Amino acid sequence: MSAYTGKIGNGYIIISTFASMGIILLILCVLFFNSFAAIRDVGWSLFTLTWNPPHAQFGILPMFYGSLAVTVISLVIAVPLGIFTAIFTSEILHPGYRFSVKAFLELLAGIPSIIYGLIGVAFFSVWVGELFHLQSGRTIFTAAVLLSIMILPTIITLCDDAIHRVPQKYREAAKGLGLCKHEVIISSVLPIAKPDIIGAVVLALGRALGETMAVMLVIGSIDKIPAPFYNLLAPGQTITSKLGREITGSAFGSLHFSAMIFMGIMLLVIVLALTLIAQYFSKSGQRLYE
Amino acid sequence: MKTYYVYILILMFTIITGCNASKKETILCAGSTTVLPVVSDAAEQFTLNHRDVAVIVNAGGSGVGINLLGEQKIHIGMISRNISQEEIEKYPDVHFITHSIGKDAVVPVVSSEIYDAGIIALTIEQIAKIYKGGITNWKEVGGPDKEILAVDKEISRGTRHVFMEIVLGNKEAEAPGADLVLGSNNEEQVAIAQSNAAIGMLSHAWINDDVKGLSIILANGERVDPTLQNIINGKFPITRNLLLITNGEPQGKIREFIGFIKSPDGQKIVEQAGYVSLYR
Repeated sequence: MSAYTGKIGNGYIIISTFASMGIILLILCVLFFNSFAAIRDVGWSLFTLTWNPPHAQFGILPMFYGSLAVTVISLVIAVPLGIFTAIFTSEILHPGYRFSVKAFLELLAGIPSIIYGLIGVAFFSVWVGELFHLQSGRTIFTAAVLLSIMILPTIITLCDDAIHRVPQKYREAAKGLGLCKHEVIISSVLPIAKPDIIGAVVLALGRALGETMAVMLVIGSIDKIPAPFYNLLAPGQTITSKLGREITGSAFGSLHFSAMIFMGIMLLVIVLALTLIAQYFSKSGQRLYE
Repeated sequence: MKTYYVYILILMFTIITGCNASKKETILCAGSTTVLPVVSDAAEQFTLNHRDVAVIVNAGGSGVGINLLGEQKIHIGMISRNISQEEIEKYPDVHFITHSIGKDAVVPVVSSEIYDAGIIALTIEQIAKIYKGGITNWKEVGGPDKEILAVDKEISRGTRHVFMEIVLGNKEAEAPGADLVLGSNNEEQVAIAQSNAAIGMLSHAWINDDVKGLSIILANGERVDPTLQNIINGKFPITRNLLLITNGEPQGKIREFIGFIKSPDGQKIVEQAGYVSLYR
């Protein structure tokens, strides 16, 4: 009997695995076939600066830039904040309070992104505009700060788990060498938790790149790279906000639609590339505690 | 225990009414946010007298309305510009029929601060220069020393088509001077109200105390205010028809619904929304 159920279990697992792989391959194929018209007809002109569908100009670089800029800034803000918060909740905070504090922080993850978007467009963008004396608070910076708040819970939760899972014996050994608490954290706990922390950052990065609604409402939606390019207090456009705004305005099967799908592929490529890079760097730290 | 029964009753009631709703004939409408308030108000009144009909109204912009009707996903498209030749050719199976339900003007609007500082009228050339990036400060047109925040709209929006046709001479013209690109009339209204130095384009019905409509100075020096009177007599240069489009001659309830909007009762809704009715 048990051998029989074992076979069923194994079969189910194998089917699940192949089904998942099939779904991922299908997504890639659908994206590729639907964007083929743009790749064939527009070609390298896809990587230019002008987006004007009625004149058959489909340059995706401004959106490409916007997505990268927003993601990088939001990570620069959220990663240190998130890791320090995780260190506090798992190492310094009294264990009795850990779960209530964590539950409160995780509440942030449950707020729908449209709510962040509404707060962003009604209040936050206005404050940014007044603070920096801008004409309009709808900027790349605004979107990035909003995003950093949205990805914080992901980073905090996963980093907290990673740090918490480091076995007590390493801390005790480090303490035995006469290290202070912060030295224990820096020299033994964090290096051991490093692969999982990088995993947390990659997940957060995925969310930041894919976020649409909140970004769409506050970024200004102008298809230009700001001048100079490092001027982040200027409106911009991300791939997702562009797709969100224009996908209904393009007819299915048109060159316009095809170019939009191509942007989707580009987004996927960015995510894949960054994930691979992160995995390459996290390989060096072995999971010592297992 | 009694409350328990009440809950079950409520649940059964919702299920039964839900079943009834599924028997209703549904009319799907989508498109221009300019036409939207008229059609959604009309839908409300129409369904009061026609309990067997449900009218679902969505926004999206004129381009979306045409595309969705072209793909035969909706019954009525709402548009606030004319259908272009390319769009007609794109959907050879669909026979577009337009029904005029009123008239509107696209008005250049500014933040109330700019209006109060003395900018109450501009020429078409000045507005064109602002959108082309030639004028970037309000003092160049006699206003305060403030940078201009030029608010543009998505390229598929009917309001933009009509505005750019008159101002830049091409309905799909690029506007390199624009600083923000937004979608619906609501979104644009909010952005202009939030700023103290913005200029944008809005349907006449969206003008209020925070976003003030500019008068237009014609080539002969005459100043035309964005009033209903000037839209009715055709003096205001940026006017347009509000249209509904259907695939072929509408039948049954769809025909009745469009007939209702064109009727005197329906035209009252058009006027209440701030537009010009067919009878004026």
